[in-house]
Amino acid sequence: MPKQLSEYNQIFHALADPTRRAVIERLSLGSATVSQLASPFAMALPSFVQHLGVLEKSGLVHSKKSGRVRTYHLEPETIQQVEHWLSSQRHIWETRLDQLDSYLMQIKPSLEPHGEKL
Amino acid sequence: MNFNPSTDLKLERIVDVKPELVWAAWTQPEHLKKWFAPRPWTTVDCQIDLRIGGLCRTTMRSPEGQDFPNTGCYLEIIPNRKLVFTDALGADFRPNEKAFFTAMILLEPHGTGTKYTAIAMHKDEASRQQHEDMGFHVGWGMCLDQLVELFQNA
Repeated sequence: MPKQLSEYNQIFHALADPTRRAVIERLSLGSATVSQLASPFAMALPSFVQHLGVLEKSGLVHSKKSGRVRTYHLEPETIQQVEHWLSSQRHIWETRLDQLDSYLMQIKPSLEPHGEKL
Repeated sequence: MNFNPSTDLKLERIVDVKPELVWAAWTQPEHLKKWFAPRPWTTVDCQIDLRIGGLCRTTMRSPEGQDFPNTGCYLEIIPNRKLVFTDALGADFRPNEKAFFTAMILLEPHGTGTKYTAIAMHKDEASRQQHEDMGFHVGWGMCLDQLVELFQNA
């Protein structure tokens, strides 16, 4: 389902931070508890929990509480939405540069060997 | 630069022509018009005022015949080495209504040819909108593993 602009803003805001991207990377290996996620970071727990809040609000992750332990999971569908957008942009650039390269090879024989002014 | 893998793209190419020729292809309208729009789109107009703050305008035409002008200016020009332009600003740095991207083209000699790097930095929601406006529809390409890889390479 296509997302609203404001939802995209939240996703991109969430992904703009290196700590939050590291959390996404970690979660791509499997779900994890708050303390497991926090352990690699030299950061006060409340600040770290704020990062998790931003990620959850964006829809990139979701969490479940069982007893006193909160476990986070990745929401692949949201990540695919972002990837869809970026891969479209990448496709445009790939196509453009493919065309540039073949154009360059096409004009090279007439321009390069004689050192003519381009 | 501060690379953001969720909005930025970086592409590297090696091509067997001299940097001067790659530079010409990026900075002379008659060359640029031949390759800039991803087919089946075409570049129907191109104006280049190659100075810092100089106008850079391309108009791309969709297969349905609709024209999409894009106006920007140059931010940095080092002949045969580096070209930076944006559509956030128009000629002489006048702010544009919409900002979509800043592009950086880096060239260096590589053997008898050229290694060039294209970096496109996008403003998230605006460029998404632009992408939809322009009707580029591309299949869902990458899976999650590749996305994570993208993060790791950043």
